[in-house]
Amino acid sequence: MRDQELDAILSREQDIAPSSGFVASVMEAVGQQATTPPPIPFPWLRALPGIAAIAVALGVLLVTAFGVIAREPTAQPTFLELQAVLATTLELAKTIRAGWLALALAISFVCVKLSTHLAATSENR
Amino acid sequence: MTAADDQADVEKVIAGDISAFEGLVRRWQGPLVNLAYRFCRDRGRAEEMAQEAFLRTYRSLSGWRRESTFSTWLFALATNLYCSELRRIPARTSALDDIVEPRDPRAMDETYEAEDRDRLVHRAVFALPAKYREAVILFYFHDLDVAEAAASLGLPQGTVKARLSRGRDMLRRKLSPHFAAPELGREAS
Repeated sequence: MRDQELDAILSREQDIAPSSGFVASVMEAVGQQATTPPPIPFPWLRALPGIAAIAVALGVLLVTAFGVIAREPTAQPTFLELQAVLATTLELAKTIRAGWLALALAISFVCVKLSTHLAATSENR
Repeated sequence: MTAADDQADVEKVIAGDISAFEGLVRRWQGPLVNLAYRFCRDRGRAEEMAQEAFLRTYRSLSGWRRESTFSTWLFALATNLYCSELRRIPARTSALDDIVEPRDPRAMDETYEAEDRDRLVHRAVFALPAKYREAVILFYFHDLDVAEAAASLGLPQGTVKARLSRGRDMLRRKLSPHFAAPELGREAS
């Protein structure tokens, strides 16, 4: 097959005409878009302290866990040792009140989700 | 259809006159729907994709920096959307190898009507790997203009030329058995 043939066939593609209601449909969608308020962005700035606290807690947890394992490098960590690590972690979580932090973050997340959902629902009515 | 009309309508829309956007839609609905149709071969989906392209255009109008014409910017935006949309939900395509090769090409050449040949070629284009298919579709959509195709794809012209060349090689190789041997001979001479 020659290039000219290929060019000829691919160049004589038949155009289709958009349906009669296409412009109206686009303009309706644009109208809706214009009246829709911009989405509420996730409050990253407010969530930052919580995220930082979680990151620190995770870091401390990892360091503690590695510290326990490194004390006896040749032996495999036994069930009791793992239990001890878990107990230390829980103790640490209590100290930094990780539960409250997690709860606060969860409540913030639910509030944001709920408000964006309510805003979207009221716009669609 | 002039670039000045487009620019005037864009200015009005940015100033808050949404109805001016209708002028842009009327002028560009045909090209955008047809471009989408060449990508998906489905009229309904083509209109949906074109509508989404217009919506994105509306949302991004203030981002048009006037470095290129409105049409170039519009086609680049639409092409980007169509390509990512088809990567997300691929159109129904058949693999290039699924195109059945005839046992006797000469016999097939006699029976193929022009329409069948066209359909076969389009099917083969559709079965190309995405990056070659996109280059081929845009090259022919823009009336064999590599620069326009490259602008729509947001790629250097050299890259588009290379993809085009590779895509056409693949098409020739796949389609040669379907067309008469004498033509191939003439091409070689």
